[in-house]
Amino acid sequence: MAGSIEWLLLAYRMPREPSTPRITVWRKLTRLGVAKLGDGLVALPADARSQERLEWIADEVIEAAGEASLWRSRLTSAAAERALVERMAGAIAADYRGLITAAGAAGASIPVRAQTVARLRRELRRISQRDYFPPPERDEARRAVESLTSRAAVR
Amino acid sequence: MDRAACAWLIRRFADPDAVFVFVDDPDQVPGDATPFDMRGADLSHHGGDCSFETALRRFGLGDPVLWDIARIVHEADLDDERYDAPEAPGLDVLCRGLSMILDDPAMLAATGPLFDGLYEFRRRALLLGREPS
Repeated sequence: MAGSIEWLLLAYRMPREPSTPRITVWRKLTRLGVAKLGDGLVALPADARSQERLEWIADEVIEAAGEASLWRSRLTSAAAERALVERMAGAIAADYRGLITAAGAAGASIPVRAQTVARLRRELRRISQRDYFPPPERDEARRAVESLTSRAAVR
Repeated sequence: MDRAACAWLIRRFADPDAVFVFVDDPDQVPGDATPFDMRGADLSHHGGDCSFETALRRFGLGDPVLWDIARIVHEADLDDERYDAPEAPGLDVLCRGLSMILDDPAMLAATGPLFDGLYEFRRRALLLGREPS
């Protein structure tokens, strides 16, 4: 059985030097939460916003003397699709777990510093923005950060 | 957000009589039109800038209020933390929400006053050196 999710695939190639544009592009792709499928091949579930963002990145690659093309595609195997989704959800779950640990450490110090809470909130927002297949850890991370928020407020 | 901001900028500061044509694909741009905020267009993303910033450079607009607004548009559009612009996520949500309920011309009509207000607010803030009341 074929996969049911439509994916955007960005195939790109950039000159090794200068390295700055290459690093900038990779940073932007990471922030979008792409799944790396191979050298110069990344994937995201398709939607209009992701498409626009990947198109701008493709243009940036071309502007930096590279090559880039954006594709829409489906996996021919449902099992392979499940594996990809699990891989993406697993990576995000690890990010949430890191945040839960950080929130626990912040909660151990008294009083809870408002600055730390603000940083963790920002981090939670960042992770949520690249979370396409929310794992159970998402709600736990939200609760962990919110409980800090209320404690920072009363002290 | 970047597109709506560019349209506002063009109307207010470059060409008050500008007529906007809306297309789905760069191939559909009429021959006598100047495309903006589209792939391959000159008035578009360049060197890490969003289209609004590119437009300010191309039009030679040095108004500090516009460059102040450019920080907000940049963060709303690219969210790359180049600037500290706490207004950005709010404006981004407002523009995306409006685009869900309005067609393109109505979208420009609705966002015009939004940017007029933002301009006035940031203008007063720059003059005062702090947020106006």
